[in-house]
Amino acid sequence: MSGDLDAAVQALLEHSLRAWRVDGKIHREVDGTLLIAAANKCVRVARAPAGLPFRWAVADGERRRGATSVTGILRHVRTALDSSYRSVRLRIAPLPPTP
Amino acid sequence: MIPVAVLTGFLGSGKTTLLGHLLRHPDFARTAVIINEFGEVGLDHDLVEASEESFIELQTGCLCCAVRGDLALTLEDLLRRRDAGTVTPFERVAIETSGLADPAPILHTLMSDAGLARRLALAGVVATVDTINGLATLERYPQSVKQVALADRLILTKGDLAQGQGADLTARLAALNPTAKRLQASFGAVDPAHLFDVGHPASLRAHDLPAWLGLDGHDAPAAGHHPQISCFAILRDAPVKAVALTLFLEALAEHCGADLLRLKGILNIAENPDRPAVIHGVQHVFHPPVWLDRWPSRDRRSRLVCIGRDIQQVWLEALIHAIEAEVAEVAAVGA
Repeated sequence: MSGDLDAAVQALLEHSLRAWRVDGKIHREVDGTLLIAAANKCVRVARAPAGLPFRWAVADGERRRGATSVTGILRHVRTALDSSYRSVRLRIAPLPPTP
Repeated sequence: MIPVAVLTGFLGSGKTTLLGHLLRHPDFARTAVIINEFGEVGLDHDLVEASEESFIELQTGCLCCAVRGDLALTLEDLLRRRDAGTVTPFERVAIETSGLADPAPILHTLMSDAGLARRLALAGVVATVDTINGLATLERYPQSVKQVALADRLILTKGDLAQGQGADLTARLAALNPTAKRLQASFGAVDPAHLFDVGHPASLRAHDLPAWLGLDGHDAPAAGHHPQISCFAILRDAPVKAVALTLFLEALAEHCGADLLRLKGILNIAENPDRPAVIHGVQHVFHPPVWLDRWPSRDRRSRLVCIGRDIQQVWLEALIHAIEAEVAEVAAVGA
């Protein structure tokens, strides 16, 4: 992972654990992979190998998923660690609110 | 487009008195009023009298709990009757919610029903707050907190009876929703313009924006924090890429959902830096961005004001920073 993005993703995940009220720790390995130990699980977040149609790989035990962006990482990590989580989709109103 | 105002406020906070006054005001003529009452036997509609050119529709059951389609059906029916000439050709609609209603689902109906959106436009949310009991109500009833947090305008009622009790309430309201303008109504008397001219993005002029954001001359909302509800501003010096904004809003909706009571902002979008984009959302539903012709001042920073329940500013800052870092990395790789 590149320096800026590497640090930004780690910081985001650390703040996210607190926001989700999930006790856990995040450790970065030498190759840049982030290991999240929380909720009796170990979730790995790493760059996806070249040639795949996504940028990130998120592994929760044997379960591996691809994510195309930081927001995809968040979704997968939260799904793995927060059993109460139910995703809500953004909706855009059909027209501007013009009185 | 026919503007629709939503009048909310807790039980006994003076909504019906306010509406009764408005319905006698000449500037409120040609208004269709929908009164939503909780319980099978409603009374409020008997307590207000419409002028000849305005009329009242009654709905029972709580709009926010019952099938939301009821509201859409009522509005569609009103429009059909207007087209057929069987009702006054009303020029605006006012919806009085029941005192126990959460306004958010009502706003979602108005914002996201494609059929309604072709003809009706949400003009704003006005919440009445009882100056005498308002503070205690806010302490005890989460619905009242949400009504205040979602309002564009707060109308303090019964001030004539309060005898100086209003200072703590004013501070609490400022903490919950510093972006909403506060007005006093004496015996329900208030200018009708305050219901329909609340400064929604499409009707804003550039110089109105700082006040609409609650950032008039400041970088952050002036208020402190409520134990559960917080209001804060996020500033970005550099223009924000459109894709970063999209990802940010998606993540906000996805992870905050119902806790994101309101997000509004003025943004410097990198692809169109000379025209500020105004965004406005309630929970996970957002209006499309409105592009203004010019910036209100030389300050071209992006400013987002968030009112939310248990949403941490530091998390939002980290989220947008990570998204921007990724967008920058992708752009650098593609260059």
